[in-house]
Amino acid sequence: MKPTDTFTDDQLELLADKARQGKISRRKFTQLGAALLGSAALASRGMPALAADGQLVFVSWGGDAVDAYDDAYGKPFEEATGIRVRQDGSGPTEGAIQAQFESGNPTWDIVDADAFSAESLGKKGMIEPIDYDVVDKSKMRDGFGWEYSASSYFFSYVIAYDATKFGDNPPTSMADFFDTEQFPGKRAMYKWGTGVWEALLMGDGVAQADLYPLDLERAHNKLRDFKQHVISFWGNGAESQTLMLNGEASMALIWSTRARLLDQDTDGDVKFIWQDGVISPGAMAVIKGNPGGSDAAMKFIASAQDPEKQLVMFDMLSQGPANPATDDLIPEDERRFNPVAPDNYAQQVALDVAWYEENYGDALNEYLAIVSA
Amino acid sequence: MTNIRPMILLAPLLMFLSLAYMLPFAGVIGWSVTIPEPGLQNYAAALTDPLILSVFWRTLRICAVVTAISVAMGYLLSLLWVRGTPLVRTLTELCILIPFWISVLTRAFGWLALLSSRGLLNGWLEGLGIIDDPLRLVRNEFGVIVGMVHFMIPFAVFPLASAMRNVDERVLLAARGMGASRTRTFWQVFVPMTAAGIMGAALLVFVFAIGFFITPAILGGGRSVMVAEMIYLRIFQSPDWGLAAAVSVILMVAISALLALLLKQLSPKDAK
Repeated sequence: MKPTDTFTDDQLELLADKARQGKISRRKFTQLGAALLGSAALASRGMPALAADGQLVFVSWGGDAVDAYDDAYGKPFEEATGIRVRQDGSGPTEGAIQAQFESGNPTWDIVDADAFSAESLGKKGMIEPIDYDVVDKSKMRDGFGWEYSASSYFFSYVIAYDATKFGDNPPTSMADFFDTEQFPGKRAMYKWGTGVWEALLMGDGVAQADLYPLDLERAHNKLRDFKQHVISFWGNGAESQTLMLNGEASMALIWSTRARLLDQDTDGDVKFIWQDGVISPGAMAVIKGNPGGSDAAMKFIASAQDPEKQLVMFDMLSQGPANPATDDLIPEDERRFNPVAPDNYAQQVALDVAWYEENYGDALNEYLAIVSA
Repeated sequence: MTNIRPMILLAPLLMFLSLAYMLPFAGVIGWSVTIPEPGLQNYAAALTDPLILSVFWRTLRICAVVTAISVAMGYLLSLLWVRGTPLVRTLTELCILIPFWISVLTRAFGWLALLSSRGLLNGWLEGLGIIDDPLRLVRNEFGVIVGMVHFMIPFAVFPLASAMRNVDERVLLAARGMGASRTRTFWQVFVPMTAAGIMGAALLVFVFAIGFFITPAILGGGRSVMVAEMIYLRIFQSPDWGLAAAVSVILMVAISALLALLLKQLSPKDAK
């Protein structure tokens, strides 16, 4: 091959990347490719294939997760199977997955989605059912493998508090979170409702075991009364961290992944408790008609069940392992950060995926009506 | 429009715009009357749902306030830029252009650092003993307005400055020569002569402000949801594409009507 061809190939490869990520359309890619090579040449050489060509696109929520997923799951999978896994951090919300499917030409293969989103979309025929002959249900915690998605990690909504203020008398339950007399200062909660409804109800005296189905009316009444104490409804993890770091909130309901970072980065000035936390599963799902094919995608999901790989994700992102076999691999002194370690699990309640699948959209609209009133 | 030539020259642009914007928008209109089922129920919902109405009103209110402040401040800034001494002009230009080039995200976080309850401003005020409890300056509507005004001022300045540059100096001299005071010359001669610039600036700022997303999301503390964020929410979070599409169409129609109205008001004056 002539040296000039290498450059053209590289250009073509860059274009193909963009096409795969959906940044340019396939038609545009063909046009530009033809412009680079001449259309006859393009036809004779064959394009770098866009679909089913030993590539998978894994879509997560961006940030540090992109590199972590690549190190823990992507690279080992490519070594084992020759299938390259590309990382895309654009955030697979329910609507974004639906948009991928409805385009008729999805460029995503596997999504790191909320299990309830995957189930709801799956029932509309947009998600492949999980092939439990390939994905091993025995490598998951009981009740966390669904028809259309497989749990891949856990995180919790936990109470983080300013230990410089409440160090001697720390909060011990959700009731304390809502008690601004004993624990003065502003609060921060999640903008999209998940985990907050549970917190509101527990704060109002509902026992963990009686949470589901959620009594939304009661939760929203509590929210109306309490929202004056909320300085911010945070929309992403970094924001929640900032609110605690600069002391704007004295207590916050945040993800355990961020709570661990706060605990470590502030040398314990910000601490958190597991009591009354809400355990939430992250799940992997495969878009129906995905370019890399369902088989390869299922193999990828199965490969991510490996305890050693999940340990990497715990180290890098504090993801609680989906595979219980990973729990014991976590060094003793770090087990306190694992949301699903038995001691921690026992203090919390697990998010009810089935309830969210049915009710999330409407509940969120009501929630936001109160928040922004 | 008796001359056909400008139309021919404009045609490719119009075709491009219609392909790039109108076609996809036709698709959005399609969604609004077909998802989840054919009919006008999405429009009915959008125009009666108290949440959506309150978001509409909030958006209009915030945009009106932002427009008024941005145009007023932009007017003063433009005066300095166009009519100041050379040193003042250079300084003003820097004050306009440097923020203009900084990304909207960076500016929103800048305001957060400056105005939050443990931010610089509250820190100083508390340090000086002026206040005991921090002022709530961000994570509310006030913060959203500050951030948006800061972003919009350069957009107000450009049409205003160009209108001011077109004012014939001799007219002002004539007014002064006829015995008008400085104040009177300003209000009765200069301001009316820049009225088209004021209208243009107000229009630009208002229409731009309606689509704001990032600044309200960051500085509003999750509370000051504006219409763009609500559309995002209905598309990505609680998937309800029909309603999102209906809200988009209503917004588009409202903005177009506004544009048409203002253009109509502007054009007779230009024709004189």
